[in-house]
Amino acid sequence: MTFVLGAFLSIDFWQYVAVTAGIYAIFALGLQLEFGFAGLLNFGHIGFMAIGSYTMAILIVHASLPMWLAALIAIVTAMLFGLVVGLPALRLRADYLAITTIAFSEIIRIFILNSVRWTGGPQGVLGFAGDYTDFSAALGRRLSSLTHISFDPDRVLLVLVWPIVLLIYLVLRRLTRSPWGRVMRAIREDEDAANALGKNPLFYKLQALAIGSGIAAIAGIFFSYQLLYLSPTSFEPLFTFFAWVIVLLGGTGRLGGVPVGAVIFAVIFAGTRFLEFWPLSLLDDGDRAAVRLIVVGLILIALMAFRPQGIFGKREELLLDR
Amino acid sequence: MIDEPRGPVHRRHDTILEVEDVTKHFGGVAAVDRVSLAVERSSITALIGPNGAGKTTLFNVISGFIAPESGTILFQNERIDGKPPHAVAKRGLVRTFQITKALTKLSVLENMMLAAPDQPGERFWSVWLRARTVKAREIEIRQRAMEALRLFRLDHLADDYAGTLSGGQRKLLEMARALMTRPSIVLLDEPMAGVNPTLGKRLLEHMHQIRDEHGLTFLYVEHDMDVVMTHSDRIVVMADGRVIADGSPAEIRRDQGVIDAYLGTAGAPR
Repeated sequence: MTFVLGAFLSIDFWQYVAVTAGIYAIFALGLQLEFGFAGLLNFGHIGFMAIGSYTMAILIVHASLPMWLAALIAIVTAMLFGLVVGLPALRLRADYLAITTIAFSEIIRIFILNSVRWTGGPQGVLGFAGDYTDFSAALGRRLSSLTHISFDPDRVLLVLVWPIVLLIYLVLRRLTRSPWGRVMRAIREDEDAANALGKNPLFYKLQALAIGSGIAAIAGIFFSYQLLYLSPTSFEPLFTFFAWVIVLLGGTGRLGGVPVGAVIFAVIFAGTRFLEFWPLSLLDDGDRAAVRLIVVGLILIALMAFRPQGIFGKREELLLDR
Repeated sequence: MIDEPRGPVHRRHDTILEVEDVTKHFGGVAAVDRVSLAVERSSITALIGPNGAGKTTLFNVISGFIAPESGTILFQNERIDGKPPHAVAKRGLVRTFQITKALTKLSVLENMMLAAPDQPGERFWSVWLRARTVKAREIEIRQRAMEALRLFRLDHLADDYAGTLSGGQRKLLEMARALMTRPSIVLLDEPMAGVNPTLGKRLLEHMHQIRDEHGLTFLYVEHDMDVVMTHSDRIVVMADGRVIADGSPAEIRRDQGVIDAYLGTAGAPR
């Protein structure tokens, strides 16, 4: 019990959770744009994150590109994949888009699993983080000398990831409050009406999917540098639904709800690690991990029952749906 | 409030919309069967016919929601058949829907502003690179939208969600919103259906006023015979996917074919 309490009180642990929350927040901001504003049921968001992570890692390992260039190409690649998937899939009805995207994300994962030469297959990719660890160490030293606090790699990542969350939030806020965002919301409400008023729904939905996918790739890049190791098991479809939980927790169409939802989700998800008291102490670690998902599920059910619009959602809007 | 329609200056007796030999089947049924009709610029033309005559399908074909199997549609001397709805709307042909499509989670004002044409802020890069132009245009559009809402007496609801409006108010909003696109022709699909008589009367008054002041053209589907007879320059009658008569209200009233096909089935107890 002392060991558990020790971990529970450890700054290192919560720092790790905070980095994870930041990555979740970025990942879910992309989905918020796609679903909350454009109304796209993307169930394959993780696929675009995987493309971001792996493109960057492969470019660094196999083409010796510098980190920044590799990251940039990774984001652009994910956006292009968004367009490639979107072009046929967005012509389908919403529920078919959901099926198509989840299939896409599985295709990506299984492709990664099998193209061993480039991705290491089930063994994963290592050795892409050299540039980053140098950069991180240098930045850590700089920050330490400025603040007289020690900066380990996780702490450096923490001060990198959250400003990016803020930046993406601000960019999306400006976009969604512009006429561009008005068209997006109109398409979400009724595609035919927008179409009849001279707005091309496909064009806007493609933009939403491309931008959302690019944001997923950014999350993937941070994710790579948190783990320093990539493996296909990190890109299971389940991860997409973490983003869905966060979007619904925070409130659909509420950008500010995403970081809050992400923190709550990460804390619950990590906090349930400490469910070691009886009777849960009878379970082994693997089973206890499943309990975490049960807890997340119960919280979602409670949310749907008591606050179906999410933490920041507007109840009036929910009531407008016939 | 409504700016002059885009497109060529109107002359008397010129055709703005010409549907020629248009056909569309659903399964084995010819919903629209070799329909030809011409709409004169600045006229108010009614499209009538019993249920299932093909009026709404014809509207869908003209506005680009359904591609015709054969035939051509000329709008301001340009082919629009096969073009998608947004392209047709950008050329100045706008339509409303039988079942209103208020964008419920947008405010009434946002519904109006959305419809305005030529918005630089609708392009991704302009949001960032031409922020000042975008803002200036927004102010302009907001003003125009508010003026239009005042005309339609919806201005007190500007900040409400469109989803909170009554059925009649939604019809008014849809018409006002359609006019925000600066159209040359407005297609109204049963603008009076489900609207209380007072609001309905107002809708008709707006239609006449806008036509008289700005030379807009209206083509509308309606079932109320009194309305159709007193508020149209011309009436086109459809039955079973075909045009069976086309003329002035007085001519249509006397037309035996119309009486049989339309008034007969609609009125006579069987």
